[in-house]
Amino acid sequence: MGISEDTLHPPAYICEHAERVAQLRGLLAEKFPAIQPKPGGIFRTGLADVDTAEGGLRRAALTELSTASGAGALFIHAMLDTVHRERCFAALVDAARSFEPDCTAALARLLVVFCADAVQAVKATDLLLRDGNVSLIMLDLQAVPLRQLQRIPANTWHRLQRLAEQTTAAVVALTPQPMVEAAQVRITAGEGWMLAAQRRWRRDLIAAARWHVFARRSAGSLTAWKGERESAIA
Amino acid sequence: MFAVILLPNFRLQAALRFREEMDAQPVALIDQQKPKAGVLEISESAALAGVMPGQTSPQALARCARLTILSRSLGEERSARAALLEIAAALSPEIEATADGFCTANLRGLRVIDWQALGAGVVAGLASLRLHAQMGIGPNPDLAFLAARHARPVLVVQSPAAFLANLALHELDPAPELLALLCDWGIHNLAQITSLPRGDLVDRLGPEAGRLWERAAGQMERPLRIVRAAEEFSEAFDFEHEIDTAEPVLFLLRRFLDQLALRLGNACRVAGQMTLTLPLANGSAYERTFTVPSPTADVDVLFRILHTHLDGLRLDHCATGLRLVVTPTCAERQQFQLFETPLRDPNRFGETLGRLAALVGEENVGVVEALDTHRPDSIRLRAPRFHELGNAATPADDFAVGLPLRRYRPPVAAQVRVVKHQPVGLESAGVCGAIRAVLGPYRASGGWWESDRWSTEEWDVEMEEGGLYRLARVGREWRIEGSYDEPLPGSRRGAPALVAKPSTGV
Repeated sequence: MGISEDTLHPPAYICEHAERVAQLRGLLAEKFPAIQPKPGGIFRTGLADVDTAEGGLRRAALTELSTASGAGALFIHAMLDTVHRERCFAALVDAARSFEPDCTAALARLLVVFCADAVQAVKATDLLLRDGNVSLIMLDLQAVPLRQLQRIPANTWHRLQRLAEQTTAAVVALTPQPMVEAAQVRITAGEGWMLAAQRRWRRDLIAAARWHVFARRSAGSLTAWKGERESAIA
Repeated sequence: MFAVILLPNFRLQAALRFREEMDAQPVALIDQQKPKAGVLEISESAALAGVMPGQTSPQALARCARLTILSRSLGEERSARAALLEIAAALSPEIEATADGFCTANLRGLRVIDWQALGAGVVAGLASLRLHAQMGIGPNPDLAFLAARHARPVLVVQSPAAFLANLALHELDPAPELLALLCDWGIHNLAQITSLPRGDLVDRLGPEAGRLWERAAGQMERPLRIVRAAEEFSEAFDFEHEIDTAEPVLFLLRRFLDQLALRLGNACRVAGQMTLTLPLANGSAYERTFTVPSPTADVDVLFRILHTHLDGLRLDHCATGLRLVVTPTCAERQQFQLFETPLRDPNRFGETLGRLAALVGEENVGVVEALDTHRPDSIRLRAPRFHELGNAATPADDFAVGLPLRRYRPPVAAQVRVVKHQPVGLESAGVCGAIRAVLGPYRASGGWWESDRWSTEEWDVEMEEGGLYRLARVGREWRIEGSYDEPLPGSRRGAPALVAKPSTGV
C-alpha cells in the first residue's frame, strides 16, 4: 500500500479545476475578507525531519500522519514530550481506546478522549476544534478497522480542515494509510520495527525514526504534493 | 437614620417572580398546607375584581372566573428573602430581618446627602430582581416602618411631628380593646393622642398606652436584632405540573441566572460553583454540581454550562421543581507569565468537556490518572484542571524504554504454542503465525493480601510475518495484550512500504 506516481502527478483536468477553485477562493477572499483563514504559525515538534521540512506541524491546518501503528504511537509520545516542554495543552482522540500511558510528566497536559468508533472520534475532534483551547489535537485512527475508516465521507475531512483554519491548533490525523484528502501536509515513516527496539531508550527510538514530509504544492491544488519537500534522511 | 425596606404582598411577589406572564392577571395565593386558611394574598387586579384575602378558593373563583390560584412556595420565598437581605446588606452591616418581606437597616454613620436618591436606588435594585419595594427612612425603626408603609416608593421623614400628625391611630396596630376605647374618647389620629399628657394616659390605661404614646410621638427606640446575610445565592421554582422536557427548565434557568448574576454583582462576587437540583415525581431528586472553571458572573457562560448538561440528560421520572444554588467566590485576577500558554477560555473548555462527556461518556474523557497498583492497564480518566496547572517546569520522563504499546481493550484471546518454556507460535482472531523472537518473561503479581489477587507473565514477541506484540499468560490462558508495531494493512514484510525508503534500521 503506498502512493503511486500517478497520485503524485494528477491529470491536467484536475489541475484546471484546481485553478478555478483557487480563482473562486481569491474572489471570495476579496469580497469577504473577514472569512479569510488566519495564518496559523507552526507547532514545533522536536522531530528533526519534520521541523527541518516544515518548521514543525502547521497550525490551523490538518496534517495526516500515515504510518504503521508503531510509528504512530511513537509520534504521539514524541508529541507528549513536546507538549510537556512547551507547557501547552494537547488532546488525543483515540478511536480504538488503544492509548497506553507509560510516562507521567506530560499526561497532566493531555486531554484523552476514548471513543467507541471512528465516527464518534471525528465528532469529538469537531468539538475540540470548535473549542479552540488546545494547541495540538491528535486524532488516532490507526487501530480502527480499515472498513470503518473507509466509511468516513471525504467531506468530513474537508469540514475538519475548514474548522482547523479558524483556529490556531495543529491537527494531526493518524491513519494506517493515506485517506485524508483535505490534509495540507502528509507525514509518513519508514518500515516497521524489530524486537531489538524494545531494548533501547525511547528517546533514542524517537531520534532514530525517519519521517517523510509532503506538503501541498499550493492552496488551490487538491492532489499534487511537493515531493521535493520530502526531508527523509536516507 | 434607619431604613425599612418593605415588600408588600411578599409571599405573592415571591411566587410571581418567575411568572412574568401573570403580572397583569388576577392572581390569588393559597397555602396548600393550610387549605382552611383560604386566600392569603391577592394581586391588584384580583382585588379590583372583588377577591379578598381570607376567602376560600371557590368563593374567590366565584368572584373572578379568570382568577389564577397559586400555591405558596417556601423555596421561592426563601430566595426572595435572601435577595432582600443582600440588597439591605449593601446599605449597612447592621440589618435586621424584621419579618417576611420587611427588613430594617441602621444607616447611622452613612454620610448621605440625598436620602431620596439612595432609596430610589434600592427600590430600583429590587425592581431589577422583580421585587416591588417601598422604602421608608426615618430617625428610628418605627418611624422608618411607618414611612415605608406610606412610601410611593420612597419616603424620607425629615420632620417626625409633621409626618405623624395626620396618621390614623390604627397605623400603630394597637390592641383592639385599646383602639376601641380611644376611638370612643374621640381620639382618631396620632396628633390627638400626643396632645394628651403621657403620665395621665399611663395612669388610666396602663403601660401599653404609654408605649403607644411614645410611638405616636416618634420617640420609640429599640435595638436591632442584627443578622448577617447568608452568602447563598439560590433560586427555586415549583412547577404547577410535572415537566418531562428540558425547554421549561432551560427557560427558568435563564431567568434564574439573570437574577443571580445581578445579585452576585451587587455583592461583588462571581459564580464558582453551581448546584442544580431537580425534585422528581417519585419523591427523589436529581442533583448535579458544576464547577465553573474560570469563575464568572456572565449569564451566557453559566447558562451554556447548564444547557450543555441538560442537553444530554435523561431522567426516569418527570421533574416537579427546580432549584439552582450558586456558590459565590471572588473574581480571579491572574497575571500570566510571558511564556505561558494558558487555556484561552477555561469556561468554554469546560463546556466542551461537558459536550464530550455527553458524546462518549463521562468516564471516557479526561486526563489519565494511574491507579495505585502495578496491575496492567490500571488507569482512569479524571476531569482535567488545566487552568490550575502551574507554570513550573517539571523534568520530562526520559527513562521510558522501547516502543509504546497500543493496548487492546479488551485483550484478544490467543492460542500459543510453547517449546522449552518459550512461545514459538501464535494463533488468534487477528494474528497468526510463527514467532521469530521473544523477550521475556516479565512477571508481575499483586493483591495477594486481599481477595483480588492477580498474577501475570508477559512476553514481547516478534512475528515471522512482521509485527511486534505483547503476549500475556494469566493462569493457563494466553492473550494478546496489545501491539508495539503491526504490519501495514494488506502488506507483508518485504512488500512495498508506504513510502519506498530504507528501513529505520532499528
